Amino acid sequence: MRAWSVFAAELQKLSALPAVWTGAAVAVLGAGALTLLNAVGVRDALLAGRPEDSGYGSAFDTAFASMPIGTVGAVVIGVVAMSSEFTANSPDAGGGRQIGTTLVAVPRRVGVLVAKAAAVVLLVLATAAVAIPASVTLAEAIIGDAATSTVPADEAVRRCLGAALYWTLTALLALAVTVFTRSGVVPLLVLVVNSSLVSVSLLLTMLTPVAHWLPDMAGRRLFGDVDTVAGGLAAGPGALVMTGWALALLVVAGAVFSRRDA
Amino acid sequence: MLTIEHLVKHHGSRTVLDHVGFEARSGRVTAFLGPNGAGKSSTLRILLGLDRADEGRALVAGQSYRSLRDPLRTLGSMLDGSGAHRSRTARNHLSWVARSNGIPQRRVDHVLDQVGLTASARTRVGRYSLGMGQRLGLACALLGEPEVLVLDEPVNGLDPEGIRWIRGLLRAHADAGGTVLLSSHFMGEVADIADDLVIIAGGRVVADGTLDDVTRRYETLEDAFFALTSDGRDTVR
Repeated sequence: MRAWSVFAAELQKLSALPAVWTGAAVAVLGAGALTLLNAVGVRDALLAGRPEDSGYGSAFDTAFASMPIGTVGAVVIGVVAMSSEFTANSPDAGGGRQIGTTLVAVPRRVGVLVAKAAAVVLLVLATAAVAIPASVTLAEAIIGDAATSTVPADEAVRRCLGAALYWTLTALLALAVTVFTRSGVVPLLVLVVNSSLVSVSLLLTMLTPVAHWLPDMAGRRLFGDVDTVAGGLAAGPGALVMTGWALALLVVAGAVFSRRDA
Repeated sequence: MLTIEHLVKHHGSRTVLDHVGFEARSGRVTAFLGPNGAGKSSTLRILLGLDRADEGRALVAGQSYRSLRDPLRTLGSMLDGSGAHRSRTARNHLSWVARSNGIPQRRVDHVLDQVGLTASARTRVGRYSLGMGQRLGLACALLGEPEVLVLDEPVNGLDPEGIRWIRGLLRAHADAGGTVLLSSHFMGEVADIADDLVIIAGGRVVADGTLDDVTRRYETLEDAFFALTSDGRDTVR
């Protein structure tokens, strides 16, 4: 089996799914909309001479405050990449699922999973490549000269790459979890809520410091220094821990996917 | 061409397949018959590497399906209707399948035309009728110009004209030297096209042979089928 053909097929499959575009739109438009709201507030506070109300002094920091919403988009892409295989067609059309076609076309299941993961990585990185610069540019345009500080270029680049990495690893975690559940409902619900409304891991850190080693907490400093919660891992070690989680879950998912009946 | 040997499959405590074995030969249409739940789909799913057998093996030209390189070029199959995600178009579905097995994209238009779906190629599969889904499943099976066709209940949902068409297609495929294995729970369809019959009931093969061998003692194929599947012991070989 030619790995490239399998990857190209998976990429084509994913990019034709409306839900994948929804995920990308959530990241791009969601981050953009939040940035717009934040940036207007920050600019007005700075212009009014109330920097203590602005929250952020720089356009970059303002834009990055909205980056967690991109995680939601990444979760959608990761979950749908696998759950779409198990979605039953309408009863009128015979009700079948795509997984049968996929595994008959490519019986080497680990190959399927690797190709899917690679396609997810590519799509999430492409989404990040649009969403992050667009939000930063938007914040710059709105706040402009009102900014009281700037983020150095090297730090900005590092944080952009860090955010893209966080989104990518989150999508891979979502993909791996959905291998176990097959249905996308539970992983979508849990992961979207966890990465937007209430972070369960964040709450757990109040009970035990071990929770700082959970994937989403470990990687959170990839966005930059987060001032909301003290403690936990620094960006570098955190990225390694989060990557370890993603790889470990994918390996287990691969073993399960290879062994069970389709 | 297809060799099924001693397949055993349990779902929990239930025995779905109990030492199922038979062959499907080149140049012949083999009909795999049995009532619903007899084990037809389970056998085909193991043959295609979708499910694992607890015992026994199923081989395609001496190899397991999972070890075939670009399997769709050797064996085309249809299980569960279209096998496409509901939000795809037929063209998109066939296109990714072709890509995965290194099949030229021009085959997509060819098979769409062959199964009569050209006009609906850009309709989302979720809006298809049962018959259209079956046609898409067939298109997918034909995509790689395979030597072997394995079709689970292929005439389900097809109109009389579609049934006539698929009979012609399968007959021509076998006459050209190909191997055809099709399952059915509906006797009438296969009597006209099958060369060989394998009848399964309750997870066991109860009859296996040429159409004449199996039906010799009965008035019609339907009589043979009901006689053989009702008690499941009247084995003809």
